[in-house]
Amino acid sequence: MKHFGTLLLKEERAIFASPIAYATVTVYLLLMGYTFTAILFLNRTGELVRVFFQAAVLFLLMVPVITMRLFAEERRTGTLELLLTSPVKEIEIVLAKFVAGLTIPVLMLGLTGSYAAVLGIYGEPDWGPIYSGFLGLLLLAAALTAIGLLASGLTSNQIVAAVVAMGVGILLWMIDTLGYLLPEPLDAIATHLSLVAHFTPFATGALFLSDVGFFLNIVVAALFLSVRTLARR
Amino acid sequence: MPPLVVIDRLTKWYGPWLAVDSVSLDVGAGEVVGLLGPNGSGKTTILRILSGYLRPSAGTARIAGLDVVNDALLTRARVGYVPEDAPLYGSMGVREFLVFMGRLKGLTTRAVAGAVEAAIERLALGEVRHVLVAKLSRGYRQRVAIAQALLGDPDLLILDEPTNGLDPRQIIEMRGHIRALAGEHTVLVTSHILGEVERIADRVAILLGGRLLGVHAVRSGGLGHFRVRVRGSEEAVHACLARVAGVQRVSLERQVGADHGTYLVDANESMVEGTLAAAVVGAGLVLLELAPAPLDLEALFLRLTSEKDKTSA
Repeated sequence: MKHFGTLLLKEERAIFASPIAYATVTVYLLLMGYTFTAILFLNRTGELVRVFFQAAVLFLLMVPVITMRLFAEERRTGTLELLLTSPVKEIEIVLAKFVAGLTIPVLMLGLTGSYAAVLGIYGEPDWGPIYSGFLGLLLLAAALTAIGLLASGLTSNQIVAAVVAMGVGILLWMIDTLGYLLPEPLDAIATHLSLVAHFTPFATGALFLSDVGFFLNIVVAALFLSVRTLARR
Repeated sequence: MPPLVVIDRLTKWYGPWLAVDSVSLDVGAGEVVGLLGPNGSGKTTILRILSGYLRPSAGTARIAGLDVVNDALLTRARVGYVPEDAPLYGSMGVREFLVFMGRLKGLTTRAVAGAVEAAIERLALGEVRHVLVAKLSRGYRQRVAIAQALLGDPDLLILDEPTNGLDPRQIIEMRGHIRALAGEHTVLVTSHILGEVERIADRVAILLGGRLLGVHAVRSGGLGHFRVRVRGSEEAVHACLARVAGVQRVSLERQVGADHGTYLVDANESMVEGTLAAAVVGAGLVLLELAPAPLDLEALFLRLTSEKDKTSA
Protein backbone atom coordinates (compact mmCIF):
# COMPACT_ATOMS: atom_id res chain seq x y z
CA MET A 1 0.00 0.00 0.00
CA LYS A 2 2.99 2.31 -0.50
CA HIS A 3 1.23 4.28 -3.24
CA PHE A 4 -2.00 4.86 -1.32
CA GLY A 5 -0.95 8.25 0.05
CA THR A 6 0.19 9.51 -3.36
CA LEU A 7 -3.03 8.37 -5.00
CA LEU A 8 -5.23 9.75 -2.21
CA LEU A 9 -3.57 13.16 -2.41
CA LYS A 10 -4.12 13.27 -6.16
CA GLU A 11 -7.79 12.29 -5.77
CA GLU A 12 -8.41 14.86 -3.02
CA ARG A 13 -6.88 17.58 -5.18
CA ALA A 14 -9.07 16.55 -8.10
CA ILE A 15 -12.20 16.58 -5.93
CA PHE A 16 -11.54 20.00 -4.46
CA ALA A 17 -10.46 21.41 -7.84
CA SER A 18 -13.92 20.62 -9.17
CA PRO A 19 -16.90 22.96 -8.58
CA ILE A 20 -19.07 19.88 -8.04
CA ALA A 21 -17.80 19.50 -4.47
CA TYR A 22 -18.56 23.10 -3.52
CA ALA A 23 -21.96 23.13 -5.25
CA THR A 24 -22.97 19.86 -3.58
CA VAL A 25 -21.92 20.95 -0.10
CA THR A 26 -23.61 24.35 -0.50
CA VAL A 27 -26.93 22.91 -1.66
CA TYR A 28 -26.78 20.25 1.07
CA LEU A 29 -26.21 22.88 3.78
CA LEU A 30 -28.99 25.13 2.49
CA LEU A 31 -31.51 22.28 2.44
CA MET A 32 -30.38 20.86 5.77
CA GLY A 33 -30.35 24.27 7.41
CA TYR A 34 -33.90 24.89 6.28
CA THR A 35 -35.01 21.44 7.52
CA PHE A 36 -33.28 21.77 10.89
CA THR A 37 -34.70 25.24 11.52
CA ALA A 38 -38.21 24.32 10.46
CA ILE A 39 -38.28 21.14 12.55
CA LEU A 40 -36.74 22.84 15.58
CA PHE A 41 -39.28 25.66 15.60
CA LEU A 42 -42.23 23.35 14.90
CA ASN A 43 -41.39 20.57 17.40
CA ARG A 44 -39.26 22.44 19.91
CA THR A 45 -37.61 19.13 20.91
CA GLY A 46 -33.89 18.38 21.22
CA GLU A 47 -33.61 15.53 18.75
CA LEU A 48 -32.36 15.09 15.18
CA VAL A 49 -34.27 12.04 13.93
CA ARG A 50 -35.96 13.87 11.05
CA VAL A 51 -32.74 15.70 10.25
CA PHE A 52 -30.96 12.36 9.94
CA PHE A 53 -33.59 11.01 7.53
CA GLN A 54 -33.45 14.21 5.51
CA ALA A 55 -29.64 13.89 5.36
CA ALA A 56 -29.94 10.24 4.31
CA VAL A 57 -32.24 11.12 1.41
CA LEU A 58 -29.91 13.91 0.32
CA PHE A 59 -26.98 11.47 0.45
CA LEU A 60 -28.92 9.11 -1.85
CA LEU A 61 -29.14 11.92 -4.38
CA MET A 62 -25.81 13.69 -3.88
CA VAL A 63 -23.23 10.98 -3.23
CA PRO A 64 -23.58 9.61 -6.80
CA VAL A 65 -22.88 13.12 -8.10
CA ILE A 66 -19.65 13.17 -6.10
CA THR A 67 -18.56 9.67 -7.09
CA MET A 68 -19.56 9.76 -10.76
CA ARG A 69 -16.22 11.15 -11.97
CA LEU A 70 -13.91 8.92 -9.94
CA PHE A 71 -13.31 6.30 -12.62
CA ALA A 72 -15.53 7.47 -15.50
CA GLU A 73 -13.50 10.65 -16.02
CA GLU A 74 -10.21 8.73 -16.02
CA ARG A 75 -11.64 6.22 -18.47
CA ARG A 76 -12.90 9.01 -20.77
CA THR A 77 -9.64 10.94 -20.81
CA GLY A 78 -7.44 7.83 -21.00
CA THR A 79 -5.53 8.55 -17.79
CA LEU A 80 -6.79 5.26 -16.36
CA GLU A 81 -4.33 3.61 -18.76
CA LEU A 82 -1.50 5.56 -17.10
CA LEU A 83 -2.60 4.42 -13.64
CA LEU A 84 -3.10 0.78 -14.59
CA THR A 85 0.26 0.53 -16.35
CA SER A 86 2.12 1.94 -13.34
CA PRO A 87 3.49 -0.53 -10.80
CA VAL A 88 0.45 0.03 -8.58
CA LYS A 89 -2.01 -2.54 -7.28
CA GLU A 90 -5.63 -2.16 -8.36
CA ILE A 91 -6.77 -2.26 -4.72
CA GLU A 92 -4.63 0.79 -3.93
CA ILE A 93 -6.32 2.74 -6.72
CA VAL A 94 -9.79 1.65 -5.59
CA LEU A 95 -9.18 2.39 -1.89
CA ALA A 96 -7.69 5.81 -2.64
CA LYS A 97 -10.69 6.73 -4.76
CA PHE A 98 -13.09 5.37 -2.15
CA VAL A 99 -11.55 7.35 0.71
CA ALA A 100 -11.36 10.47 -1.46
CA GLY A 101 -14.99 10.00 -2.54
CA LEU A 102 -16.03 9.73 1.11
CA THR A 103 -14.34 13.03 2.00
CA ILE A 104 -17.21 15.25 0.87
CA PRO A 105 -19.94 13.24 2.67
CA VAL A 106 -17.76 13.26 5.80
CA LEU A 107 -17.35 17.03 5.43
CA MET A 108 -21.13 17.33 5.09
CA LEU A 109 -21.58 15.24 8.22
CA GLY A 110 -19.05 17.36 10.08
CA LEU A 111 -20.98 20.50 9.17
CA THR A 112 -24.25 18.79 10.13
CA GLY A 113 -22.67 18.39 13.56
CA SER A 114 -23.29 22.11 14.06
CA TYR A 115 -26.99 21.30 14.50
CA ALA A 116 -26.16 18.95 17.35
CA ALA A 117 -23.97 21.68 18.82
CA VAL A 118 -26.91 24.13 18.67
CA LEU A 119 -29.09 21.60 20.51
CA GLY A 120 -26.34 21.08 23.09
CA ILE A 121 -25.96 24.84 23.69
CA TYR A 122 -29.65 25.69 23.95
CA GLY A 123 -31.10 22.44 25.34
CA GLU A 124 -30.37 19.08 26.90
CA PRO A 125 -30.64 16.56 24.07
CA ASP A 126 -30.32 12.79 24.49
CA TRP A 127 -26.87 12.33 22.99
CA GLY A 128 -27.16 8.56 22.41
CA PRO A 129 -29.47 8.75 19.36
CA ILE A 130 -27.47 11.69 18.04
CA TYR A 131 -24.19 9.76 18.12
CA SER A 132 -25.79 6.65 16.62
CA GLY A 133 -27.51 8.75 13.98
CA PHE A 134 -24.21 10.23 12.86
CA LEU A 135 -22.65 6.75 12.82
CA GLY A 136 -25.56 5.50 10.71
CA LEU A 137 -25.15 8.39 8.27
CA LEU A 138 -21.41 7.72 8.03
CA LEU A 139 -22.03 4.05 7.26
CA LEU A 140 -24.76 4.92 4.75
CA ALA A 141 -22.43 7.41 3.06
CA ALA A 142 -19.68 4.79 2.89
CA ALA A 143 -22.05 2.25 1.30
CA LEU A 144 -23.34 4.78 -1.23
CA THR A 145 -19.79 5.92 -2.04
CA ALA A 146 -18.71 2.32 -2.68
CA ILE A 147 -21.76 1.74 -4.90
CA GLY A 148 -21.05 5.00 -6.76
CA LEU A 149 -17.42 4.03 -7.24
CA LEU A 150 -18.44 0.68 -8.70
CA ALA A 151 -20.89 2.34 -11.10
CA SER A 152 -18.22 4.84 -12.14
CA GLY A 153 -15.83 1.98 -12.90
CA LEU A 154 -18.27 0.42 -15.34
CA THR A 155 -18.60 3.33 -17.75
CA SER A 156 -16.76 6.27 -19.26
CA ASN A 157 -19.88 8.45 -19.03
CA GLN A 158 -20.22 10.35 -15.77
CA ILE A 159 -23.97 10.93 -16.17
CA VAL A 160 -24.57 7.22 -16.71
CA ALA A 161 -22.46 6.46 -13.63
CA ALA A 162 -24.45 8.94 -11.52
CA VAL A 163 -27.84 7.73 -12.74
CA VAL A 164 -26.95 4.05 -12.21
CA ALA A 165 -25.57 4.71 -8.71
CA MET A 166 -28.62 6.81 -7.82
CA GLY A 167 -30.95 4.14 -9.14
CA VAL A 168 -29.25 1.36 -7.18
CA GLY A 169 -29.15 3.49 -4.02
CA ILE A 170 -32.81 4.49 -4.21
CA LEU A 171 -33.85 0.91 -5.05
CA LEU A 172 -31.96 -0.42 -2.03
CA TRP A 173 -33.42 2.35 0.14
CA MET A 174 -37.03 1.44 -0.62
CA ILE A 175 -36.75 -2.25 -1.46
CA ASP A 176 -38.39 -3.27 1.83
CA THR A 177 -41.73 -1.99 0.50
CA LEU A 178 -41.39 -4.60 -2.25
CA GLY A 179 -41.08 -7.26 0.45
CA TYR A 180 -44.79 -7.06 1.23
CA LEU A 181 -45.61 -8.18 -2.30
CA LEU A 182 -43.17 -11.09 -2.40
CA PRO A 183 -43.58 -14.68 -1.15
CA GLU A 184 -41.28 -16.20 1.45
CA PRO A 185 -38.28 -16.22 1.59
CA LEU A 186 -37.94 -13.41 -0.98
CA ASP A 187 -39.79 -10.98 1.29
CA ALA A 188 -37.20 -11.50 4.02
CA ILE A 189 -34.36 -11.06 1.54
CA ALA A 190 -35.86 -7.82 0.22
CA THR A 191 -36.26 -6.50 3.77
CA HIS A 192 -32.75 -7.53 4.67
CA LEU A 193 -31.34 -5.64 1.67
CA SER A 194 -33.18 -2.46 2.57
CA LEU A 195 -31.01 0.54 3.44
CA VAL A 196 -33.84 2.25 5.28
CA ALA A 197 -34.55 -0.85 7.39
CA HIS A 198 -30.93 -0.88 8.55
CA PHE A 199 -30.62 2.89 8.87
CA THR A 200 -33.76 3.48 10.97
CA PRO A 201 -32.36 1.88 14.17
CA PHE A 202 -29.31 4.17 13.98
CA ALA A 203 -31.48 7.29 13.53
CA THR A 204 -33.73 6.36 16.45
CA GLY A 205 -30.91 5.48 18.81
CA ALA A 206 -30.85 1.67 18.60
CA LEU A 207 -27.44 0.31 17.71
CA PHE A 208 -27.20 -3.24 16.36
CA LEU A 209 -24.00 -4.85 15.17
CA SER A 210 -25.96 -6.60 12.42
CA ASP A 211 -26.82 -3.18 10.96
CA VAL A 212 -23.19 -2.10 11.13
CA GLY A 213 -22.22 -5.39 9.46
CA PHE A 214 -24.81 -4.83 6.71
CA PHE A 215 -23.34 -1.50 5.65
CA LEU A 216 -19.78 -2.79 5.91
CA ASN A 217 -20.76 -5.80 3.78
CA ILE A 218 -22.04 -3.48 1.06
CA VAL A 219 -18.81 -1.47 1.20
CA VAL A 220 -16.57 -4.55 0.97
CA ALA A 221 -18.66 -6.18 -1.79
CA ALA A 222 -18.75 -3.00 -3.92
CA LEU A 223 -15.01 -2.35 -3.46
CA PHE A 224 -14.21 -5.98 -4.30
CA LEU A 225 -16.29 -5.73 -7.48
CA SER A 226 -14.55 -2.44 -8.35
CA VAL A 227 -11.16 -4.14 -8.06
CA ARG A 228 -12.39 -7.03 -10.21
CA THR A 229 -13.75 -4.57 -12.77
CA LEU A 230 -10.32 -2.93 -13.02
CA ALA A 231 -8.50 -6.26 -13.16
CA ARG A 232 -10.76 -7.59 -15.95
CA ARG A 233 -9.19 -6.12 -19.05
CA MET B 1 22.95 -11.19 -24.90
CA PRO B 2 19.35 -12.49 -24.61
CA PRO B 3 16.64 -10.26 -26.08
CA LEU B 4 14.99 -7.84 -23.65
CA VAL B 5 11.50 -8.48 -25.02
CA VAL B 6 10.34 -11.93 -26.05
CA ILE B 7 6.86 -12.19 -27.50
CA ASP B 8 5.77 -15.75 -28.14
CA ARG B 9 2.61 -16.60 -30.09
CA LEU B 10 0.79 -13.67 -28.53
CA THR B 11 -2.94 -13.73 -29.24
CA LYS B 12 -5.73 -11.40 -28.20
CA TRP B 13 -9.44 -11.78 -28.82
CA TYR B 14 -11.93 -8.97 -28.24
CA GLY B 15 -15.09 -11.07 -28.06
CA PRO B 16 -15.37 -12.72 -31.47
CA TRP B 17 -12.78 -10.39 -33.07
CA LEU B 18 -9.21 -11.60 -33.31
CA ALA B 19 -7.07 -8.50 -32.77
CA VAL B 20 -3.65 -10.18 -32.49
CA ASP B 21 -3.04 -13.52 -34.14
CA SER B 22 -0.16 -15.57 -32.74
CA VAL B 23 2.52 -12.88 -33.04
CA SER B 24 6.10 -13.79 -32.09
CA LEU B 25 8.84 -11.16 -31.94
CA ASP B 26 12.13 -10.63 -30.11
CA VAL B 27 13.53 -7.18 -29.36
CA GLY B 28 17.16 -6.78 -28.36
CA ALA B 29 18.38 -4.44 -25.62
CA GLY B 30 18.97 -0.92 -26.92
CA GLU B 31 17.08 -1.51 -30.17
CA VAL B 32 14.41 0.78 -31.59
CA VAL B 33 11.76 -1.40 -33.19
CA GLY B 34 8.83 0.07 -35.06
CA LEU B 35 5.49 -1.68 -35.32
CA LEU B 36 4.03 -0.65 -38.63
CA GLY B 37 0.56 -1.33 -39.91
CA PRO B 38 -2.74 0.30 -40.78
CA ASN B 39 -5.33 1.11 -38.12
CA GLY B 40 -6.75 -2.10 -36.64
CA SER B 41 -3.67 -4.16 -37.41
CA GLY B 42 -3.04 -4.99 -33.75
CA LYS B 43 -0.14 -2.61 -32.99
CA THR B 44 -1.74 -0.86 -30.04
CA THR B 45 -3.08 -4.12 -28.61
CA ILE B 46 0.43 -5.62 -28.58
CA LEU B 47 1.80 -2.54 -26.85
CA ARG B 48 -1.04 -2.56 -24.34
CA ILE B 49 -0.29 -6.18 -23.48
CA LEU B 50 3.40 -5.39 -23.01
CA SER B 51 2.56 -2.38 -20.84
CA GLY B 52 0.34 -4.54 -18.63
CA TYR B 53 -2.88 -2.73 -19.53
CA LEU B 54 -4.38 -5.72 -21.35
CA ARG B 55 -4.00 -9.43 -20.75
CA PRO B 56 -3.33 -11.77 -23.66
CA SER B 57 -5.90 -14.41 -24.59
CA ALA B 58 -3.07 -16.82 -25.39
CA GLY B 59 0.69 -16.80 -25.77
CA THR B 60 3.23 -15.05 -23.58
CA ALA B 61 5.21 -11.85 -23.46
CA ARG B 62 8.34 -11.49 -21.32
CA ILE B 63 10.34 -8.39 -20.50
CA ALA B 64 13.82 -8.98 -19.07
CA GLY B 65 12.75 -12.55 -18.39
CA LEU B 66 9.63 -11.50 -16.45
CA ASP B 67 6.17 -12.52 -17.60
CA VAL B 68 3.91 -9.52 -18.18
CA VAL B 69 0.93 -11.32 -16.61
CA ASN B 70 2.43 -13.35 -13.77
CA ASP B 71 5.02 -10.71 -12.79
CA ALA B 72 2.82 -7.77 -13.68
CA LEU B 73 4.02 -5.27 -11.05
CA LEU B 74 7.69 -6.08 -11.65
CA THR B 75 7.41 -5.74 -15.43
CA ARG B 76 5.41 -2.51 -15.16
CA ALA B 77 8.25 -1.07 -13.08
CA ARG B 78 10.62 -1.79 -15.99
CA VAL B 79 8.42 -0.21 -18.65
CA GLY B 80 7.81 3.43 -19.52
CA TYR B 81 4.59 3.72 -21.48
CA VAL B 82 3.18 6.55 -23.56
CA PRO B 83 -0.34 5.64 -24.67
CA GLU B 84 -1.81 6.96 -27.91
CA ASP B 85 -2.91 10.62 -27.66
CA ALA B 86 -0.75 11.07 -24.54
CA PRO B 87 -3.42 11.11 -21.81
CA LEU B 88 -2.34 13.37 -18.93
CA TYR B 89 -3.94 14.95 -15.87
CA GLY B 90 -4.91 18.36 -17.19
CA SER B 91 -5.55 19.88 -13.75
CA MET B 92 -1.94 19.31 -12.67
CA GLY B 93 1.09 21.45 -13.45
CA VAL B 94 3.83 19.79 -15.54
CA ARG B 95 6.23 19.33 -12.62
CA GLU B 96 3.44 18.29 -10.27
CA PHE B 97 2.33 15.65 -12.78
CA LEU B 98 5.85 14.30 -13.22
CA VAL B 99 6.37 14.12 -9.45
CA PHE B 100 3.07 12.24 -9.11
CA MET B 101 4.05 9.74 -11.81
CA GLY B 102 7.52 9.35 -10.28
CA ARG B 103 6.00 8.49 -6.92
CA LEU B 104 3.72 5.93 -8.57
CA LYS B 105 6.81 4.35 -10.10
CA GLY B 106 8.16 3.88 -6.60
CA LEU B 107 10.78 6.66 -6.52
CA THR B 108 11.57 8.15 -3.12
CA THR B 109 10.96 11.83 -2.44
CA ARG B 110 14.64 12.64 -2.98
CA ALA B 111 15.00 10.41 -6.05
CA VAL B 112 11.86 11.73 -7.65
CA ALA B 113 13.07 15.34 -7.50
CA GLY B 114 16.30 14.44 -9.32
CA ALA B 115 14.55 12.22 -11.87
CA VAL B 116 11.94 14.87 -12.63
CA GLU B 117 14.55 17.59 -13.13
CA ALA B 118 16.53 15.28 -15.43
CA ALA B 119 13.42 14.46 -17.47
CA ILE B 120 12.46 18.15 -17.68
CA GLU B 121 15.92 19.01 -18.95
CA ARG B 122 16.09 16.12 -21.41
CA LEU B 123 12.72 16.90 -22.98
CA ALA B 124 13.29 20.69 -22.83
CA LEU B 125 10.28 21.32 -20.61
CA GLY B 126 11.90 23.94 -18.40
CA GLU B 127 9.84 26.88 -19.61
CA VAL B 128 6.52 25.07 -19.00
CA ARG B 129 7.40 23.31 -15.75
CA HIS B 130 4.73 25.23 -13.79
CA VAL B 131 2.14 25.48 -16.58
CA LEU B 132 -1.08 23.48 -16.23
CA VAL B 133 -0.98 20.40 -18.45
CA ALA B 134 -4.40 21.34 -19.87
CA LYS B 135 -2.91 24.55 -21.29
CA LEU B 136 -0.03 22.85 -23.14
CA SER B 137 0.24 22.54 -26.91
CA ARG B 138 0.08 19.09 -28.47
CA GLY B 139 3.85 18.97 -28.89
CA TYR B 140 4.52 19.80 -25.25
CA ARG B 141 1.90 17.28 -24.09
CA GLN B 142 3.69 14.57 -26.06
CA ARG B 143 7.01 15.58 -24.52
CA VAL B 144 5.53 15.54 -21.01
CA ALA B 145 4.16 12.07 -21.73
CA ILE B 146 7.60 10.85 -22.76
CA ALA B 147 9.16 12.58 -19.74
CA GLN B 148 6.87 10.63 -17.38
CA ALA B 149 7.75 7.41 -19.21
CA LEU B 150 11.47 8.05 -18.59
CA LEU B 151 11.02 8.36 -14.81
CA GLY B 152 12.50 5.39 -13.00
CA ASP B 153 14.91 4.73 -15.88
CA PRO B 154 12.88 1.92 -17.49
CA ASP B 155 14.51 -0.78 -19.62
CA LEU B 156 11.74 -0.61 -22.20
CA LEU B 157 9.99 2.47 -23.57
CA ILE B 158 6.70 1.90 -25.34
CA LEU B 159 5.50 4.77 -27.51
CA ASP B 160 2.14 4.47 -29.23
CA GLU B 161 1.89 6.79 -32.24
CA PRO B 162 4.14 9.45 -30.66
CA THR B 163 4.00 11.80 -33.66
CA ASN B 164 0.22 11.74 -34.06
CA GLY B 165 -1.26 15.20 -34.37
CA LEU B 166 2.07 17.04 -34.30
CA ASP B 167 2.99 19.73 -36.79
CA PRO B 168 6.03 19.12 -39.07
CA ARG B 169 8.47 20.96 -36.81
CA GLN B 170 7.24 19.09 -33.74
CA ILE B 171 7.50 15.79 -35.65
CA ILE B 172 11.16 16.47 -36.45
CA GLU B 173 11.84 17.36 -32.79
CA MET B 174 10.03 14.24 -31.58
CA ARG B 175 12.04 12.03 -33.95
CA GLY B 176 15.19 13.53 -32.48
CA HIS B 177 14.02 12.82 -28.93
CA ILE B 178 13.18 9.20 -29.78
CA ARG B 179 16.44 8.54 -31.62
CA ALA B 180 18.31 10.04 -28.66
CA LEU B 181 16.73 7.42 -26.42
CA ALA B 182 18.08 4.54 -28.52
CA GLY B 183 20.93 2.66 -26.90
CA GLU B 184 20.06 3.82 -23.38
CA HIS B 185 16.61 2.28 -23.60
CA THR B 186 14.96 -0.31 -25.75
CA VAL B 187 12.17 1.43 -27.64
CA LEU B 188 9.04 -0.05 -29.17
CA VAL B 189 7.20 2.51 -31.24
CA THR B 190 4.11 2.25 -33.41
CA SER B 191 3.07 4.23 -36.42
CA HIS B 192 0.84 3.82 -39.42
CA ILE B 193 3.09 6.20 -41.35
CA LEU B 194 5.87 4.44 -43.27
CA GLY B 195 8.23 7.40 -43.36
CA GLU B 196 8.04 7.89 -39.62
CA VAL B 197 9.08 4.33 -38.77
CA GLU B 198 11.81 4.44 -41.39
CA ARG B 199 13.36 7.49 -39.74
CA ILE B 200 13.00 6.31 -36.14
CA ALA B 201 13.48 2.54 -36.02
CA ASP B 202 16.38 0.10 -36.39
CA ARG B 203 13.98 -2.67 -37.36
CA VAL B 204 10.41 -2.65 -38.46
CA ALA B 205 7.75 -5.29 -37.78
CA ILE B 206 4.93 -5.13 -40.30
CA LEU B 207 1.47 -6.09 -39.06
CA LEU B 208 -1.78 -6.55 -40.89
CA GLY B 209 -5.05 -7.91 -39.55
CA GLY B 210 -3.38 -8.89 -36.29
CA ARG B 211 -0.69 -11.00 -38.00
CA LEU B 212 3.00 -10.29 -38.16
CA LEU B 213 3.95 -10.31 -41.85
CA GLY B 214 7.67 -9.82 -41.41
CA VAL B 215 10.47 -8.10 -39.52
CA HIS B 216 13.06 -6.15 -41.49
CA ALA B 217 16.16 -4.15 -40.66
CA VAL B 218 15.81 -0.50 -41.59
CA ARG B 219 18.92 1.05 -40.14
CA SER B 220 21.50 -1.44 -41.38
CA GLY B 221 23.14 0.58 -44.15
CA GLY B 222 21.58 -1.69 -46.73
CA LEU B 223 23.05 -4.84 -45.25
CA GLY B 224 20.64 -7.65 -45.99
CA HIS B 225 19.09 -5.92 -48.99
CA PHE B 226 20.87 -5.96 -52.34
CA ARG B 227 20.23 -4.68 -55.82
CA VAL B 228 21.65 -7.04 -58.46
CA ARG B 229 21.78 -6.19 -62.18
CA VAL B 230 22.24 -9.33 -64.20
CA ARG B 231 22.21 -10.36 -67.86
CA GLY B 232 20.34 -13.61 -68.25
CA SER B 233 16.79 -14.96 -68.44
CA GLU B 234 14.51 -14.08 -65.56
CA GLU B 235 13.92 -17.76 -64.73
CA ALA B 236 17.64 -18.50 -64.64
CA VAL B 237 18.43 -15.49 -62.46
CA HIS B 238 15.59 -16.34 -60.03
CA ALA B 239 16.68 -19.96 -59.81
CA CYS B 240 20.32 -19.01 -59.29
CA LEU B 241 19.76 -16.36 -56.61
CA ALA B 242 17.04 -18.25 -54.73
CA ARG B 243 19.41 -21.23 -54.33
CA VAL B 244 21.95 -19.15 -52.41
CA ALA B 245 21.92 -19.97 -48.71
CA GLY B 246 20.45 -17.14 -46.65
CA VAL B 247 18.43 -15.56 -49.45
CA GLN B 248 14.87 -15.06 -48.34
CA ARG B 249 13.26 -13.37 -51.32
CA VAL B 250 14.17 -12.42 -54.88
CA SER B 251 12.04 -10.00 -56.83
CA LEU B 252 12.40 -8.39 -60.23
CA GLU B 253 12.63 -4.63 -59.80
CA ARG B 254 12.97 -3.58 -63.43
CA GLN B 255 13.17 -5.47 -66.71
CA VAL B 256 15.51 -3.60 -69.09
CA GLY B 257 15.52 -5.92 -72.08
CA ALA B 258 14.61 -9.51 -72.88
CA ASP B 259 17.60 -10.87 -70.95
CA HIS B 260 18.61 -7.97 -68.75
CA GLY B 261 17.03 -6.98 -65.42
CA THR B 262 17.54 -5.50 -61.99
CA TYR B 263 16.60 -7.70 -59.05
CA LEU B 264 16.09 -6.99 -55.36
CA VAL B 265 17.40 -9.63 -52.99
CA ASP B 266 16.39 -9.85 -49.30
CA ALA B 267 18.87 -11.93 -47.40
CA ASN B 268 19.96 -12.70 -43.86
CA GLU B 269 22.03 -9.91 -42.46
CA SER B 270 25.03 -12.24 -42.30
CA MET B 271 25.00 -12.50 -46.09
CA VAL B 272 27.80 -10.78 -47.93
CA GLU B 273 27.80 -9.54 -51.46
CA GLY B 274 30.61 -11.94 -52.44
CA THR B 275 28.43 -15.02 -51.99
CA LEU B 276 25.81 -13.59 -54.30
CA ALA B 277 28.38 -12.53 -56.89
CA ALA B 278 29.98 -15.96 -56.89
CA ALA B 279 26.61 -17.65 -57.36
CA VAL B 280 25.70 -15.44 -60.34
CA VAL B 281 29.04 -15.91 -62.02
CA GLY B 282 29.08 -19.62 -61.19
CA ALA B 283 25.72 -20.03 -62.94
CA GLY B 284 27.18 -18.61 -66.13
CA LEU B 285 25.24 -15.34 -65.89
CA VAL B 286 26.73 -11.89 -66.48
CA LEU B 287 26.90 -9.78 -63.33
CA LEU B 288 26.62 -6.10 -64.25
CA GLU B 289 26.11 -4.57 -60.81
CA LEU B 290 25.77 -5.68 -57.19
CA ALA B 291 25.31 -3.17 -54.40
CA PRO B 292 23.62 -2.87 -51.02
CA ALA B 293 20.16 -1.36 -51.44
CA PRO B 294 18.49 0.65 -48.73
CA LEU B 295 15.18 -0.96 -47.74
CA ASP B 296 12.27 0.61 -49.58
CA LEU B 297 9.79 0.31 -46.78
CA GLU B 298 6.86 1.45 -48.84
CA ALA B 299 7.49 -1.20 -51.49
CA LEU B 300 8.07 -3.83 -48.83
CA PHE B 301 4.85 -2.92 -47.04
CA LEU B 302 2.84 -3.06 -50.25
CA ARG B 303 4.42 -6.36 -51.24
CA LEU B 304 3.82 -8.03 -47.86
CA THR B 305 0.28 -6.77 -47.53
CA SER B 306 -0.59 -7.83 -51.09
CA GLU B 307 0.88 -11.28 -50.40
CA LYS B 308 -1.30 -11.46 -47.29
CA ASP B 309 -4.35 -10.43 -49.33
CA LYS B 310 -3.63 -13.18 -51.88
CA THR B 311 -3.24 -15.72 -49.08
CA SER B 312 -6.50 -14.63 -47.50
CA ALA B 313 -8.29 -14.83 -50.86
